[in-house]
Amino acid sequence: MSLARVELRGVSKSYSNGGQAVDVLHDVSLAAAAGTITALVGRSGCGKTTLLNLAGAMDFPTSGQVLIDGRDTASLSERELTGLRRRRVGFVFQFFQLLPTLTVLENVELPLLLAGAVKSSETALDRLQWVGLADLAARLPFQLSGGQMQRVAIARALVHSPDVLIADEPTGNLDTASGDQVLRLLADAAARFGATVLMATHSAEAAAIAQVRVRLRDGRIQAIESS
Amino acid sequence: MKLLRNLILRPLWRDPLRTAMTILAVALGVAVVVAIELAADAAAGSFRSSIESLTGKTDFEIAANGRIDERWFGRLAMLPVDARFAPVMEAQAILPGIGAVPLYGVDLMGRDAMLASAALARRLPADGGFTATIEGRAYPFHATALHSEGTAEFLLLDIARAQQLLNRYGKLDRIDVTVAPGEDRDGVERAIRAVLPAAYRIDKPGARSDENQTMLRAFRLNLRALSYISLLVGAFLIYNTVSVSVVRRRAEIGILRAIGASRGTVLTVFLVEALLLGVAGAALGVVFGRVLAAGAVRLVGETVNALYTTSRPAPVELTWGATLLAFGTASLVAFFCALAPACEAMNIAPTEAMSRGAHEHRARLRWRRGLLASAILAALAAAVSQAGPIAGYPIGGYIAALLAVGAAALAAPAMVLGVNRATRAVTRRRASSLLASRGLTASLSRTSVVVSALATAIAMMASVGIMVGSFRETVSLWLDDQLQADLHIRSAARPAPGEFPPVDAAVAAIVRSIPGIAASDFYSGMEFHFRGQRPTLGAGDMEVTRRTNRLRFLPGEDRDAILRSLPHEDRVIAGEPFAHKFGLHTGDRIDVSLGEHNVTFTLAGIFYDYAGGQGRMMMDRSTLLRYLPDQPLTSISLFLAPGADMGAIEHEIQLRAAPYGITIARNADIRRLSMMVFDRTFAVTWALEAVAILVAVLGAANSLLALVLDRRRSLGLLRYLGASTGQIRGLILTEAAFLGAFAAILGLALGVALSLLLVFVVNKQSFGWTIQFHPPAGLLAGALLLIWAVTVLAGLYPARVASRLNPIDVIHEE
Repeated sequence: MSLARVELRGVSKSYSNGGQAVDVLHDVSLAAAAGTITALVGRSGCGKTTLLNLAGAMDFPTSGQVLIDGRDTASLSERELTGLRRRRVGFVFQFFQLLPTLTVLENVELPLLLAGAVKSSETALDRLQWVGLADLAARLPFQLSGGQMQRVAIARALVHSPDVLIADEPTGNLDTASGDQVLRLLADAAARFGATVLMATHSAEAAAIAQVRVRLRDGRIQAIESS
Repeated sequence: MKLLRNLILRPLWRDPLRTAMTILAVALGVAVVVAIELAADAAAGSFRSSIESLTGKTDFEIAANGRIDERWFGRLAMLPVDARFAPVMEAQAILPGIGAVPLYGVDLMGRDAMLASAALARRLPADGGFTATIEGRAYPFHATALHSEGTAEFLLLDIARAQQLLNRYGKLDRIDVTVAPGEDRDGVERAIRAVLPAAYRIDKPGARSDENQTMLRAFRLNLRALSYISLLVGAFLIYNTVSVSVVRRRAEIGILRAIGASRGTVLTVFLVEALLLGVAGAALGVVFGRVLAAGAVRLVGETVNALYTTSRPAPVELTWGATLLAFGTASLVAFFCALAPACEAMNIAPTEAMSRGAHEHRARLRWRRGLLASAILAALAAAVSQAGPIAGYPIGGYIAALLAVGAAALAAPAMVLGVNRATRAVTRRRASSLLASRGLTASLSRTSVVVSALATAIAMMASVGIMVGSFRETVSLWLDDQLQADLHIRSAARPAPGEFPPVDAAVAAIVRSIPGIAASDFYSGMEFHFRGQRPTLGAGDMEVTRRTNRLRFLPGEDRDAILRSLPHEDRVIAGEPFAHKFGLHTGDRIDVSLGEHNVTFTLAGIFYDYAGGQGRMMMDRSTLLRYLPDQPLTSISLFLAPGADMGAIEHEIQLRAAPYGITIARNADIRRLSMMVFDRTFAVTWALEAVAILVAVLGAANSLLALVLDRRRSLGLLRYLGASTGQIRGLILTEAAFLGAFAAILGLALGVALSLLLVFVVNKQSFGWTIQFHPPAGLLAGALLLIWAVTVLAGLYPARVASRLNPIDVIHEE
């Protein structure tokens, strides 16, 4: 039995574009253990985001299997998938994706509200303290800097203590200092919360914090490096 | 053309559902306006004598209040003028399966035949045999078809036979005069005038038609105003659509300006877009309107026949005038509604166009200014509502209503923000209510417009509901006063307004001979010509009226003294609508022609009166008989002695008066029938309201769909955060529920304000009625709940669209 929390076995993915099939991933296999950071590197269009969506059970492979703790995501019902997103997977995006009409605290609290959890405000505040932004709880997103918004997004992604954290270019829109802050938080998430972090990145600094670096090209794995 | 296609048509085509919904909403508004215009024209009918096609064009019509004594016909026939004089009787015959058709008595040289117009003959049995009910009695006839053209349906009898059937011996309804070609028309008129009593009228042909049009003027204006409500609601929607278009295309505007498009080009793009929507809506609306008119004619006709006068609806004709009205109105509305957002688009700086939140942020900042403007408009509305009528029309009332609607629209943003703030502690407990309330306030300008549109429709429903409810209660209380008699006797014929079928004098003798009757009020009603209209003249026993406490007079008037002063005197009393219509006050001198007499009466008092729309003047029957000694009874009200057996008395009268074609009704029956007539008269009003609500709900659905499409990314993100598809649907439905609730609050407040205008200004100035304010709370609550539920249902399709968004696609959209 695999020790990997997230495993892709011979995964291929193709989309239909105007009647023509476009192959995005070809026979990709990789495994990510708990508490590790796996960085996906490669040019734009190499399939990083597609791979992350598959790993986060937001999408399903054309062939092959995606397993989270040994369970094939394609075999899960809609209800089970919703439960998965609510309890076990967190997402961080390149463009932060905070809801502009909610305060910082409400943004972080939102996944817990959707899950019907109790004491959501307290848990959210705790996460904000962890990312060092508790004093900005009442602010609206447009009042924050890029780095602050991404830290709020990380707090939101971790508010329900997920097992898997999917980060798509988390430092892509940030300056160096903010980017470093975000990377430290991701590393802390893996170490402190035991989250399996899967991160797509163009940044060498981001790739450097990962224990595993997967190089993708044209939808195929070129190389996997471990440190 | 390329610019038109690329900048205007293509964006509209890209959003086909929303474009179609906007056009449909405009079309419904236009359809209602067109339908009411066509229906009102048709339902009023031509009123021209249907027999004109047979007798030829008449030059004069001689008529008199209380009918013309037959002997004058002979005097006219002896005049040394080259003119033809044709005596005419008019009545209604009820034919099974056909309904009421005009029955004319004309000079057929004593021919004992029933003639039917060609159009009517085609509908009769093949052998020409049929039964007609005339003045409550059924008669068998055999009709011969006339060679007549056109669609007019009527029956002809020899005038002597008509007089016999109608029990109007020695009387003529009118004498038609046709002057021979070459004869001096004015000379003929002078000769006729010299012979006839001064009280007899010489009218132009179609005077009756003109009188009817005058009587219906206020009714038609009010109906027209109501029909424009749907278009007003549609106007909000056009404003919203263009505003949404401006917001969504801000980046495009920025690009256009950056590559050299002028402000004028940007302005033109959005104005043309709005005009296209207006014109498309008008084209569809004209077609819908023509279809709706067929049904509307029936509803409008029922009101006309119930309140004003008998009419047979003319065919509905889609005239060029109505079509131009539709296109012109829709285009104007579209143009003016698009002007503000188009100007805003024109003034967007290229760099600013790229920033998305700025527009809505400014909307949130402007709410204070909007609230101040709302207060000013409300104050103006209150001031304008105090203005008197202009040429008899409640123009001040209508303007005040428009100002009130404007005030509500300007207050909408403040209300949305205020309610949202007040309920914050509650809404933030659940994801759907939190997101819904924030989503609506984030799109404040758009939310406010939808809320205003829906609130306007709700307000119209509420205000008319309150007005009708108040009116109903007022009429009900008035009937309590009026219906004091135990039994009412009248002709078995079904009279329309203006018709007073006679009760045979023998019935009066029968009634007088029956023991157990404490008092009888013998009443004569008739339509009479007065100052270009045809109100009602009633003559009864004013002493019985006084003793039985019927009739309530305006404050300050001594009821007993007034009623005591009427018998045998040239004194009259007037109903409130009559006094209002003719600008009369207690003490005024009124000239009325009765038969051959011109009489000057003194107006002794004014009483509250809700019996029909023509207005009523009353006198003691002793006074009427002095001038019209042959005027028949039209009803008898019986007041039984204490302990008398009502059933037995009723039975005896029925038995002994059986040959005379009468009906006997008890108070409860009259009351029930009266309220039925009342309820039927507002059927068209309710229909108009329903359309306005439909237009507003369409607008809500349209707006919710726009919100969904604009927030694709946020909705996709929620799926990433663990929201189920059910929760996404619930979010949109919660937004719809909030929209409905905001609109209900604002609509109810506006509705109460409008109801005050309707009751105390519009109705009062249009018809003269004093209506007591009795809001039907239960009915209003039920209607509001229903509209709220329908608004939530309007969110079903947008909710479905939202739940089916692919989160992967939308989250990565730029």
